[in-house]
Amino acid sequence: MATLPTFFRKTDGGPGGPQVSAAPKPEVVRAKQDPFQLRPLPLEDVFFQSKAIDNTRLVRESDPRAGGRCWSAIGAACLALALCAAGLAPRMANRIEGYKLEGIKNEERRLVDQRRALQLQEAELLGPRQLEQIAKDRNLAPPSPGQVVNLEPRSEGAMAMAKQ
Amino acid sequence: MVDRRLAWLAGIGFIWIAAILCGLIRLQVVRHAELARMAQARQETAREIAAPRGAIFDRTGQPLALSVPGKSVYINPLKVDIDAASDLLSRVFHLDRAELRARMSQARERHRGDLPVKRRITDEEQQLAARQPVGYIDVREEKQRHYPNGTLAAHLLGSVDFAENGNAGIEKALDRELRGAPGKSMVLQDVQGRPIDSRLAAEAKPGEPLTLTIDERLQYVAEREIAAAVEAHGAASGSVVAMDPNTGEVLAMASYPTYDPNLPPGPDDNPAARMDHAASVPFEPGSVFKVITLSAALETTNLQPESSIDCHGGVLRLPGRVIHDSHLGNGRLQMQEVLWKSSNVGAIEIGLRVGQENMYEYVRRFGFGQRTGIPLPAESPGRFRRLERWGKTSLASVSFGQEISVTTLQLAQAASAVANGGLLVRPRLILKKGSQAAPAGKPARILKPETAITMRRMMEGVVTNGTGSKARLAGYSVGGKTGSAQIYDYAARCYTHTYNGSFMGFAPSMNPAVVVVVTLNGTHGEAGFGGQAAAPVFKAVVSEALRILDVPKDLPEEPAKVFLAKAAVTDAPPVDSGYRQANILDDRDDDDAPGAAQPATPGPKAPNFRGMTQRAVLSEAFSKGLVVLTEGSGLASAQDPPPGAPLREGERISVVFTR
Repeated sequence: MATLPTFFRKTDGGPGGPQVSAAPKPEVVRAKQDPFQLRPLPLEDVFFQSKAIDNTRLVRESDPRAGGRCWSAIGAACLALALCAAGLAPRMANRIEGYKLEGIKNEERRLVDQRRALQLQEAELLGPRQLEQIAKDRNLAPPSPGQVVNLEPRSEGAMAMAKQ
Repeated sequence: MVDRRLAWLAGIGFIWIAAILCGLIRLQVVRHAELARMAQARQETAREIAAPRGAIFDRTGQPLALSVPGKSVYINPLKVDIDAASDLLSRVFHLDRAELRARMSQARERHRGDLPVKRRITDEEQQLAARQPVGYIDVREEKQRHYPNGTLAAHLLGSVDFAENGNAGIEKALDRELRGAPGKSMVLQDVQGRPIDSRLAAEAKPGEPLTLTIDERLQYVAEREIAAAVEAHGAASGSVVAMDPNTGEVLAMASYPTYDPNLPPGPDDNPAARMDHAASVPFEPGSVFKVITLSAALETTNLQPESSIDCHGGVLRLPGRVIHDSHLGNGRLQMQEVLWKSSNVGAIEIGLRVGQENMYEYVRRFGFGQRTGIPLPAESPGRFRRLERWGKTSLASVSFGQEISVTTLQLAQAASAVANGGLLVRPRLILKKGSQAAPAGKPARILKPETAITMRRMMEGVVTNGTGSKARLAGYSVGGKTGSAQIYDYAARCYTHTYNGSFMGFAPSMNPAVVVVVTLNGTHGEAGFGGQAAAPVFKAVVSEALRILDVPKDLPEEPAKVFLAKAAVTDAPPVDSGYRQANILDDRDDDDAPGAAQPATPGPKAPNFRGMTQRAVLSEAFSKGLVVLTEGSGLASAQDPPPGAPLREGERISVVFTR
């Protein structure tokens, strides 16, 4: 345990044991003429003696109720912790779910945008000019009226082509 | 002494604790709401909820215009070294360096600090831009309007500016419906900016999707055919309108020259390309207008299709002008022959019997001189003088389509009235707004049903016996009227020999399913007459429309050889009257002749279909490029031409199936 002498390091002995100094007190040498010298602090010339206390012979008196009190304290602390956790847990869970929810919302926005981009791509690929070019490449020509015979129900919007 | 000090210490401690408590109460109770708001403002950020502009679809659900998020590149020209930046950016974004440099210099001169370098960059370009060791490339996410089919229906759809505000066509006319209102959500963020929670501050209202009445396939064919015709005949422009005469739904509306609405207008662009010639550019209709004159005559006079009309030998002198037909020698013609041969003098004679008031009334009834009400921002009402401003020869002029200017769309509206039995149906372009069907206007009766039927019969005669032979279709009856109006030169104050060649018709003529009007502006010579230049376009568009609409044939299949033989009989070379004066109105439409017979070219031989199923027959025919007409069901038992017989071009093979 730190004592004031050890704290201020103004002991006249080392930390190893009591060393009563037989040496004469050092004289405070001051340049009295020095106008910039700080004035001495109060009790600057007072030194403390640090003394080691040997309390190994002391024996703690047994207290049969101390264990109970200890467990009570531990129980109370655990209860307080549990109550605290119970109070904070929903907030934490909310926050974690909030992160997840916002992540999902961002994903939804991204997917909606992606769907629109794909719709655009599909529309470009299914454009009549594109289809006509493909048909020409494959030597196909648009049928004349009445040339198309629907043996099965036709799909809406499909462009019928007949081979040239 | 010690007690006093302790008392002081306790007092100071008490005051300190009291001060803290006061501060806490002030913060937690008194200023709670204000501080909570401040805290929330620091932790919450407003995020815009996108409300994309409404998409535009055709009647089959194919998208014609879509808004898709994309990325654009911007720079601040005031803060970059123009040479270095144009070098780098042109390389990264595949742009023309000189052009980019010029744009940057221009922007700097104008102190413009925000220059779009390229819109709609690709992912690869974005990644490449991110790797560049410069800090001035600003890649921004924007909603961008795309027209997936490029020039298709460009004049109908219009375009938008950089802020997605409509600036032409449907995009402008229905901008309010198409434009969405973005919403706002407040997002609670943690210290790292990760969103924890969000609440809706303002709901987003996406733009309303529109479904148009046009059919993408028919629109494409109309645009392809009119473009080819304009180029082939050296015309300045052309337009086509295809319309359902019963509902007024516009199935196709094409205009040429055209433009790509995906691209912003450039300084070198042809301004005519952005003009909608079908609805915004009126012209003198010429002989197609005789349909109106004859309709008025049937309703207001005792004239009948067989009534005799004195055509004065093809020449009629009016105060200050001479009108003549190119077919000189037309003495007396039946009224229906006036239409078939497109006699100007005959039309004037009929118009004179109708009278000014009645003529004016009927022209107005057919919707000329007024907008049709189609939702296009620049629709022209045409020009038609009020009756009190008519001159001495105005009645004569109007009778055969002069002194009046109309749009192709107005002609389609008028032709629809004849086709549907006498009801004026306003053209419709919007089929659905969102999921709600757009209400159709109430049709108005302008002709008696019997008048409309008589007109349809007479117009069918134009195709079978008159000037519109090139509009004839195999398997369908077609009614129509050709027009070849000379274009007036305002500088020389006379009519020139450039023409507005037009054809107005419908099919099948007894129960019309589609009306098509074709106009070519600025054609030259006889090949530019309506019957020569516009009728083939009509034929191609109507043919496609009838196929798409699945309209059953109303005429028996005519073998090719019979058709060709008949055409050869009715063929007559154009007659040149040789009578030309600058101020003489000349409609040489009469000279339109049916197509000449083509010599039969030897083709492949007919395969043997006997014993095959219908599916197998069709499959083999398709694989060989042959056209097969089937009858009955079961297995093929007979065919015409027989197996091994040589086939001519276009010849069909009839196959009979029996069980």
